[in-house]
Amino acid sequence: MSKGESLGEFEHLTLLAVFRLGDDAYGMRVRREIAERTKRDVTIGAVYTTLERLAAKGLLKSALSDPTPERGGRAKRSFRVTGLGIASLNRARQELGSMLEGIAFPLSGGAR
Amino acid sequence: MRPPLLAQTVLMALAGPGEAEYIAGDLEEEFAMIREARGRAAARRWYAWQVARSICALLQLRIRSGELTQAVLIASLGVALPLLLLDRLWTFVYSQIPLKDGLHRAAGFLVFNALCVCACAAVLGAWAASNWAASNWPASKRLGLKSRALALAFAAAVAVLVALWAGAANAPAGYVVALALAVPASALLTFAWRKSK
Repeated sequence: MSKGESLGEFEHLTLLAVFRLGDDAYGMRVRREIAERTKRDVTIGAVYTTLERLAAKGLLKSALSDPTPERGGRAKRSFRVTGLGIASLNRARQELGSMLEGIAFPLSGGAR
Repeated sequence: MRPPLLAQTVLMALAGPGEAEYIAGDLEEEFAMIREARGRAAARRWYAWQVARSICALLQLRIRSGELTQAVLIASLGVALPLLLLDRLWTFVYSQIPLKDGLHRAAGFLVFNALCVCACAAVLGAWAASNWAASNWPASKRLGLKSRALALAFAAAVAVLVALWAGAANAPAGYVVALALAVPASALLTFAWRKSK
């Protein structure tokens, strides 16, 4: 797999969040999902930049829904993981599993 | 209870018409949830902080979509560059006409010069505007006709000012103002004409 196709750390988290949310994956829910699970303070701008990049790579596809009153009459852009995205997640899991094999956690020591 | 107006305006201005709609919707939905859980002041602070921390990401998103690049390219290549060359040509023509000490150039000559450049600016602005209106680039399709006209008019005005500043810093103020108004005006008129058709 070329470097351009590999997933960055935040891309990986975003793709997993979209996968976990299923049909309910849109910017706000993705942001909250990542924030709650990783305890990181993620901004909506960072989430959308990453979602856009993943969509450009063909790992996600998006659709605009009708405006709703609770959103101030604004539309919602929902995302779904594509087949390529699923393959990318499987590959990332396999690579990580392979790298973690034989290492006992929690780690200790390290260079001083 | 609405989110802070200033933060909302910044968001709408930076995100661009395509993205602003659903990003603002997401923020508004979460704003309502936070207001219920933590109160009005906390929700307003949260909203403003989200927008402030998203400024770079929103600009990045807009540049990637190609809207800003298209506007700057068309304004620079279609309007500012030809204007700069024309201005240089007239400066050369001026320099070839000798004047005796104590004499000034006839006002009519300067007006004629400004009229020539304004006419060219109008034609070039109109050409650039109609070219962009008819283009099938993805970013152009997502933008409304009015937004495209305003974006181009603004970019053209800035490009003209930069070109004149760089090329003829000693140009008369009236001449610079006339050009800076003629180019966006011609772009807006062309868009209006196309829309009416």
